[in-house]
Amino acid sequence: MKKNDLKSMGKSFTKYILIIGALLILLDFTFHRHEYFSFAEIYGFPAFFGFVSFVFIVMLGKWLRKFLMRKEDYYDQ
Amino acid sequence: MISNFIPGLIMIITSFLLPTIPQYFRHPAMLLSVGLSALSLFNGYGTFLEWDILGLNLILYQSDSLTLPFAIIFHIAAILVIIFSWHSKNLMEHMATLAYAGSAIGALHAGDFFSLFIWWEATALTSVFIVFAGNTNAAKDAAMRYLIIQVSSGVLLLIGACLMLYQTGNHNLAVLDLKTNFGIFIFIAFGIKAAFPLLNGWLQDSYPESSVTGTVALSAFTTKLAIYALARTFPGTDTLIWIGAIMTAFPVFFAVIENDLRRVLSFSLNNQLGFMVVGIGIGTELSLNGTVAHAFVHIIYKALLFMSMGAVLYRAGTTKASELGGLYKYMPFTTIFCIIGAMSISAFPLFSGFVAKSLIMSSLGGMGMVLIYFILFFASAGVLEHSGIKIPYFAFFAHERKNKVKEAPINMLIAMGIAAFLCIAIGVFPKYLYQILPYAVEYQPYTLDHVISQLQLLVFAIIAFLFLVKFKLYPSEIRSTVLNSDWFYRKMLPGIGKPLFKKIGLLTDSLYKNLGLSFKQVLSKSYKFSNLSYIKVTTPSFAGTILISILFIMLVIVLV
Repeated sequence: MKKNDLKSMGKSFTKYILIIGALLILLDFTFHRHEYFSFAEIYGFPAFFGFVSFVFIVMLGKWLRKFLMRKEDYYDQ
Repeated sequence: MISNFIPGLIMIITSFLLPTIPQYFRHPAMLLSVGLSALSLFNGYGTFLEWDILGLNLILYQSDSLTLPFAIIFHIAAILVIIFSWHSKNLMEHMATLAYAGSAIGALHAGDFFSLFIWWEATALTSVFIVFAGNTNAAKDAAMRYLIIQVSSGVLLLIGACLMLYQTGNHNLAVLDLKTNFGIFIFIAFGIKAAFPLLNGWLQDSYPESSVTGTVALSAFTTKLAIYALARTFPGTDTLIWIGAIMTAFPVFFAVIENDLRRVLSFSLNNQLGFMVVGIGIGTELSLNGTVAHAFVHIIYKALLFMSMGAVLYRAGTTKASELGGLYKYMPFTTIFCIIGAMSISAFPLFSGFVAKSLIMSSLGGMGMVLIYFILFFASAGVLEHSGIKIPYFAFFAHERKNKVKEAPINMLIAMGIAAFLCIAIGVFPKYLYQILPYAVEYQPYTLDHVISQLQLLVFAIIAFLFLVKFKLYPSEIRSTVLNSDWFYRKMLPGIGKPLFKKIGLLTDSLYKNLGLSFKQVLSKSYKFSNLSYIKVTTPSFAGTILISILFIMLVIVLV
């Protein structure tokens, strides 16, 4: 029963997160979510915003490596 | 008697006495001094100690509703740091840490700019030894840069205070604006310590170079003292809203690609300060409460995260993401505490970050500041990325680890345990935190709208992470240096300055030579003149022309 390796942990974590995510989206249909700005009240807006922001941050960060990344001993040279 | 004693001063005195105390009693003595200093928290509000000197009235000890929450959390942070460093025998670091915490607490209670200046510099001078205690060449270099920047901030503060006294006849802490020249000086002085954009290089440069325990102490005081000072003198300054928004968004990208996890946390610290600065810029009672609440909970969870990385550094010998991973098997408690810190900073409901950040977000929403609101919302996804996921993932999971390491020492676990407990306790019972905030505001963070909105953001950001990892789009850990604003004075200025000074050096060398030559010529000519008595008009040599023109220019400069 005791599964201690990272792969199976990752798999079950992914499974639970996906279930929670689906539930959160479904919840959005059950009540009217009040927000400060009306366009944020669209179904699943925060979820969409979170997903896109995250991908954007990681991708832009990765691209910025071209300009910002130097060797580890850069300042010692 | 004790009620007139400046809070924090007893800690500074104790720090000087530490060498006389036997090793085993040093930590209890440190804790005792913090406890004695904390008695001041029960004094209530008012002015307790003034000193007339050189015609100035210095307010050395005053307290009000803004001071109190910061004083409480500074004392808690001091206690956490002392427990966390219980195993350490580094006397210099203990002395510096205690005096540093004491100075920061003293600074909170200063009532005028000159007293504040004294404490401001005291925090700089004491904390530099903590950076120094990193005990590597990199730490020593970083300490010197740190000292220069911190002292510069103090000098700007002093200039501002003097100008203010000269122009207005007043030097008490008061609300200032950026229309006065002294206001600008003081603003920049605070801005350096608050790590404003482009003034932030020192933070990511020095903090990660400090020791296992030192970084925890550093993370708590300096920057939050600056936040306190800004909240006292510049509430409602619109510029701060934009400065803060930039601070929340920009460090996020640097944190993504940084390899040293303690440096990632330093970028994250910078981003957190942004939220507080935005709150000060809005300047309403709700937003200022938000800033104070955020500073309060931030000190705890940031200390917790730095402690967990300190424990990793202590046991695994590095905090480089490229060399870590799989520690969850060997350091399970540290892993759990780190995850609690990560969830707090990411503002999961029921954790402390949520109840504090909501105040700032609500004040933004209430004011209809849509752009800033979504920059901060975006930055929240960024916080989750670097502090919520990257830190625990690369340190404790990522891939299996080959070499075995031990769990953190018990004192570290206790310190992390207390911090983790506070993170959850404040998250579950926010009303106790709200009670000590400067303004009485009725606020309910746990509305269904709020909770669902925040959870959607966070959970789908995690899904994005899993998606990126699954498709191998997540940037891998690479041993590297990420350029930051300290590049300007570590690389660019020396890059320009060194060749320039070399040229100037060559020029002066040749000048000296020519000077000697022309002197000889003049001497020989006068010799000829006196001996042979003939007059011949000679044109001055090229070197002579340069010399004369330089002398002339210098004369003009002196006269002007």
